[in-house]
Amino acid sequence: MKNQYLLPFLLAGMCAAQPASGQGITPPVASQKAMAAKPAAIRVTGMVTSSDEKQPIPGVNVLLKGTSTGTSTDKNGAYSLEVPDAGAVLVFSYLGYLNQEIAVQSQTAIDVVLVQDDKQLSEVVVIGYGTANKKNLTGAITSVSADEFNQGVFATPAQLLQGKVAGLNITKSGDPNQRPAVILRGPSTLRSGAAQEPFYVIDGVPGASIDLLAPSDIETIDVLKDASSTAIYGSRAANGVIMVTTKRAKEGQSVLSYSAYAAMDRVSKKIDMLSGDELRKYLTDNGQKIINPLDDDGSNTNWQDLLLRTSYSQNHNLSFGSASKTTEYGVSVNYFKNNGILKNTSLERVIVRGNVSQRFFNNRLKLGITFTNSSSNGDDVYQGGILSGMLFYLPTVSPFNADGTYKENYNRTGSGTRNPLSIADNNIIRNRNNKLLLNGLVQVDILKGLKFTLSYSTQRDQNNFGTYLNSASGLAVGLGGIARRSATLNKFDIIEGYFNYDRNFGRHEIQLLAGYSWQQDRSNDGFGVQTQKFSNDNLSFNNIFLSNPSSLAQIAFDNSPISTLRLISYYGRVQYQFDNKYLFQASLRNDGSSAIGRNNRFGLFPAISAGWRVINEDFMQELPFVTDLKARVGYGVSGNSLGFDAFSSLLIYGTLPGNSKFLNNGVITNAIGPVKNENPDLRWETTATTNIGVDFGILKNRITASVDYYIKKTSDLIYDQYPVSTTEYFLPTFTANVGKVKNTGIEVVLTGIPFRNERFSWVSAVNVASNKNVIETISNEKFTLKTIPTAQLGGKGQSGNFSQVVQPGYPLGTFNLWHYVNKNDKGVSSYENAAGALISTQPLTTDARIVGNAQPNLIYGWNNTFTYRNFDLNFLLRGVSGNKILNATLASLNNPADSKLQNIPRFTLGESYNDINGYLISDRFLEDGSYLRLDNATFGYTLKPNSPYVKAVRFYVSGNNLFVITGYRGIDPEINIGGLTPGIDNNNYYPKTRTLSIGLNASF
Amino acid sequence: MKKIFPLMLAALFMTASSCNDLDVDVESQYVKENFPVTEADYSSLLGTMYSNLSSNFAINYWRMQELSTDAAIIPARDGNFDDGGQFRQLHYHTWTVDHPNVRGIWEWGFGGINNCNRLLNLVKESAASETSKNNTIAEIRAMRALYYFFMMDLYGNVPVIDVFPVGSLPATQQRGKVFQFIESELLAIVQQLPAKTDANATLYYGRPTKGLAFALLAKMYLNAGVYTGATRYPETVAMADSVLKNTNYTLNARHADIFAPANGPQIKETIFAVPYDQQIPGNQFTRFGFFAYLATAYGFNVGLSIAMSTTPEYYNRFNLKGDFRTTTWLVGPQFVPDANGQPTTQPVFYPGTTTQIVITPDLTLKPPKPMDLGNTLADQSKGVRSIKYYPDRNIIQATRLNGNDVPVFRLADLMLMKAEAILRGAAATTVRGELQTPLVLVNRIRARVGAELAVSVDLPSLLDERARELYWEAWRRNDLIRYGLFETEYPLPNDVLTMNKDVTRRLYPIPATERSLNPNLQQNPGY
Repeated sequence: MKNQYLLPFLLAGMCAAQPASGQGITPPVASQKAMAAKPAAIRVTGMVTSSDEKQPIPGVNVLLKGTSTGTSTDKNGAYSLEVPDAGAVLVFSYLGYLNQEIAVQSQTAIDVVLVQDDKQLSEVVVIGYGTANKKNLTGAITSVSADEFNQGVFATPAQLLQGKVAGLNITKSGDPNQRPAVILRGPSTLRSGAAQEPFYVIDGVPGASIDLLAPSDIETIDVLKDASSTAIYGSRAANGVIMVTTKRAKEGQSVLSYSAYAAMDRVSKKIDMLSGDELRKYLTDNGQKIINPLDDDGSNTNWQDLLLRTSYSQNHNLSFGSASKTTEYGVSVNYFKNNGILKNTSLERVIVRGNVSQRFFNNRLKLGITFTNSSSNGDDVYQGGILSGMLFYLPTVSPFNADGTYKENYNRTGSGTRNPLSIADNNIIRNRNNKLLLNGLVQVDILKGLKFTLSYSTQRDQNNFGTYLNSASGLAVGLGGIARRSATLNKFDIIEGYFNYDRNFGRHEIQLLAGYSWQQDRSNDGFGVQTQKFSNDNLSFNNIFLSNPSSLAQIAFDNSPISTLRLISYYGRVQYQFDNKYLFQASLRNDGSSAIGRNNRFGLFPAISAGWRVINEDFMQELPFVTDLKARVGYGVSGNSLGFDAFSSLLIYGTLPGNSKFLNNGVITNAIGPVKNENPDLRWETTATTNIGVDFGILKNRITASVDYYIKKTSDLIYDQYPVSTTEYFLPTFTANVGKVKNTGIEVVLTGIPFRNERFSWVSAVNVASNKNVIETISNEKFTLKTIPTAQLGGKGQSGNFSQVVQPGYPLGTFNLWHYVNKNDKGVSSYENAAGALISTQPLTTDARIVGNAQPNLIYGWNNTFTYRNFDLNFLLRGVSGNKILNATLASLNNPADSKLQNIPRFTLGESYNDINGYLISDRFLEDGSYLRLDNATFGYTLKPNSPYVKAVRFYVSGNNLFVITGYRGIDPEINIGGLTPGIDNNNYYPKTRTLSIGLNASF
Repeated sequence: MKKIFPLMLAALFMTASSCNDLDVDVESQYVKENFPVTEADYSSLLGTMYSNLSSNFAINYWRMQELSTDAAIIPARDGNFDDGGQFRQLHYHTWTVDHPNVRGIWEWGFGGINNCNRLLNLVKESAASETSKNNTIAEIRAMRALYYFFMMDLYGNVPVIDVFPVGSLPATQQRGKVFQFIESELLAIVQQLPAKTDANATLYYGRPTKGLAFALLAKMYLNAGVYTGATRYPETVAMADSVLKNTNYTLNARHADIFAPANGPQIKETIFAVPYDQQIPGNQFTRFGFFAYLATAYGFNVGLSIAMSTTPEYYNRFNLKGDFRTTTWLVGPQFVPDANGQPTTQPVFYPGTTTQIVITPDLTLKPPKPMDLGNTLADQSKGVRSIKYYPDRNIIQATRLNGNDVPVFRLADLMLMKAEAILRGAAATTVRGELQTPLVLVNRIRARVGAELAVSVDLPSLLDERARELYWEAWRRNDLIRYGLFETEYPLPNDVLTMNKDVTRRLYPIPATERSLNPNLQQNPGY
């Protein structure tokens, strides 16, 4: 028996590669007329309805058995067909329903009720290295398909999912060039960036950049949440895996489609600052005046209006493709232009995708290649100076001098010292990026059920970055222009080879997977240089050769060494299902990472899970209203070796910033020494997740629900800023494995169809997730720490203060602030110090106390879709609750005494002029971050012209961020939740926008 | 069919075994395999001792030595420059175990010490000749001794670490033990160190020489009473004489040149200085200690802090007729300077006005904000500013650096130390045919700056001479502690805060962070 050979060899693995449901049973095109009418011909007419809804089903194939003669039902479910004689048998088939055969005999009217086929209906879900039937899943996986995606001006696919997936917390400001922060099931690491974000797999290519995809090219997104699902991706999967499947033509189809939208963005909220007249009045009322006469020219300048704009965006997507049994190809072109609401910010991008594959040798060999090229041009501004400047800068001065130059007073102190309009207009930041992804695929069907896949993909990111501060720039006064440019190449190569074995033996179903992967990320290959002083500003940063630096100190080279990370993995998986009832899955991955210390480079990441399809047990027959019931339980471990220097375990010599030069025999020379305390014992950070879940459906699955409970424990946290004693090490920080963090939570997804009939339907889906994050320890057997202070926000007289702590017993993002009590009788903000006394002076750093955290208790989304005939209406409400936001922006603005130097918000009019402490960052400005947002509402109409050339055209209007209900006093409560210091609004929030768009999707 | 499986097996393992290597190339950085190799590599490595020194000496180390005294103060201005109270705490001696300088300078000092220990390993392993190795080892040990001196002076009881890596977490040693360690190190290497000559002045500029070792020993012996409880004044004189005998060290004719942006190896008075440059960051005297509104008049256009000044009491010590040193303070109506830095008759106005800038010496506080002068133009103009480290016109906004090298030891200091040691009981000695009494020594210092000569010298007048000659050179705290005057308070008008006069404040505390990381560190008394 051949399996004797197979099983021992493929120890641990295979992958279910069941054919996608529906594929291969595409109904043949119905013939228009019955053939050759014989004398005895009978015309049969009737209606086809569905068994569960008693609704007519349009498009059902009605075929004369044994022939290719047939028709299909019209939109009312009616059909009419001539059959040759009374002995004819009709076959009724429709995707997702069981076929029915009916002998005509002498009937001329045959009404048919089709019964849904559970097997066919079950969705196909993309899992690691294969696909699976949703009913067989044992892990926590959420699938979102294109028709459920969010609508809006989105540069990155993550935004398609905002509010749609329980446990996925996505935050995004209005900045077109900023990627959203994505956190799944709570933060489980102390590092930010890639270390904290989910891992993306695009059409099976692990780690490909998600920025390569135009949202309109995506067919489905599957979010793998628990370790039993993600562990097959091992070391990079600790934060969940997002599997993206792009649109491809189905077999037998040729498709041409075009979609486009145009959108208008406006700022959703501004901070209500005083006008020039109001500020003058406020000062006069308090016996004050603007300190320097230069700073009041009688103007009423609204800086926010000058810098924020109504912006227009557009998106066009053209795709075509075709698939036959042997050949498949597809091409798509996407143009996207998103103008930011902040002046001079924009993102423009062109993505071209193509794929072709061909089968040979009786379809046993498939060769394919996919390429994607994304070319983008991002324009940005010095946001730091503008976002705070447009609030703080005095409204009493005009933006321009009489001669048209930008008006400046560089000697002014306070927080608004540089004309923000000048910052926007006289400085350029431009990022030109080109990403190319090539993926070659070889698939061999070796024998029945056994398949080998070899895939090679390479991604090249070329970043050309340039900045120019021109001769009028307030950021480079008198320097005659500062130009900086850099060019870096990042290259990622992945080779994957794996076997899938997939067979059924009676009631036993088995899928095995075994594979190997080699991956190398080589980044930062390039250089950057800065120089200054140009004859004029016309060349921007384009020709640095023509600069005139007068000393070496005016030329700066980037210190951005090439970083190479290599990952090598062996993996295997066994899936076994018995009798459609008992599901079992185990996987094991052996991951090696070059970033890990030499002695611990390979780590074993196992996962095991089981499911019980209770619904298929006999005793469930007695509960007919229950149409689905499954229990799942899983445990798995995955590692994380991202987000820190890939050479942390090595001894690297270089120069330290601020400490890099010395005088060597009269010559200034690089001082080269170890740049970090090397840690050859660095080991994997590992996340172990236990997941228990139940899926059920009642009333013929008209109501379905999933509930998942998880415990996610991360240990050996890698922290690259871990403080160590300089009596032991020569640098005060160390990249060490220290600490544990735990996330526990529950996720509930409920989908229902409250109403559905022939013309009208309403589908409603709710998802709610609750997560509790806690740092368990930040010590290990060698190092002991009670707390790590974080979040240095600066602020007047407060530089050096920390606003958050990482501390055992508390979540990541725990605020540690001064405690505001009230105003004293002179109107001065008063605080409680550590000794419990009420003081009206600035407290000491030791007076800070722990007062809440940035992690939400609850994240939820509620989506509703209504259809009426050809009209559709969709809206999504989503929100979070229980989180705190530190509104340091309002704190720093609330400075009545400095209103002689800088503007104040209307809020401050309610404060005493004598409040000398009003601006201090304290728990007074720690605000409830809960919100409920009408994130999107879309109204569409689908035209199905009776034309052989046009299949359908859908027109829609859509609004984003239509309203927000929140108590938060800042611009928007959707403050970045990523990183080590989440939940802080500190004069750096790019305002969120309100968007109105119109669009069309046409298929031909 | 059966043949297929071995083939598959082979395929899998072929891909696997050929790519099982996790040792990636480090292409653009120096690693063990490619560094250090050349002589230049070794000198770059040794450079880390110096780049580390310059990174903190003239700002954070300096603040601990000067802001804790009457010589320098950074008052707040309506909340600005309060910076969490760090400058205020230094002024009132109320720093805590969390003070950013207390923590940062410990890390700087011990980081520097451990770096020296690590360098010693590398040099011992190198393929250089024995002579070359011994010279380099002496250089490293001298720098380590200097770092240790800084740590002993500030923190007193600190661990003595002379190997890298350490086997176990090092424990606190008594200050006397640390003193002995530094002394024995310096005595062991002094003969191996180069003597400065005119020919090698550039080569050894900013690096240890015999002169540095002698000067450091002199400083240790002068303060031995404080450090160990036993005074050693005659040895102070002997060590000072070891430098004074070297004809390559002479007082610079122009006092201003010693501190000018263009200072360097040509300053024959300098025994050991920390070199700074627009490319060697760490000196920001102009950013903090100059007066912002005068920038344009002094030939540069950079926004500066309105921060640091001296106290009126300290400024009042500049009371000698004809003393050039008095002119290095900015006070009263301000004028555009000439090419020599001397005031012309052309007034400087506050920007946008025709009102002449007038700097007033008083530091009258505006309660209730602590140690806060307010922020009107008049408030901003309070406090005598300094151009001792004369503004560097190459300063740029992005970094606001000075290129002025900052002396650690110079001849004038050694002469005054010698004079003090004699006043404290050591015998005067003859150097190069001149009997150097305290009066002779002090008057040589005074004559150089055109100040009226002294007729007699006692300990208090010597301290004032040190105040004038060595102001803002990071020695004031050391001098006041030796004189027992560190706790003298000059209350600021309207002040609500008072100085913590506990003598335990003569030592800084071991930073809380360090103690939590190394439980073998004992806290100093009083904290």
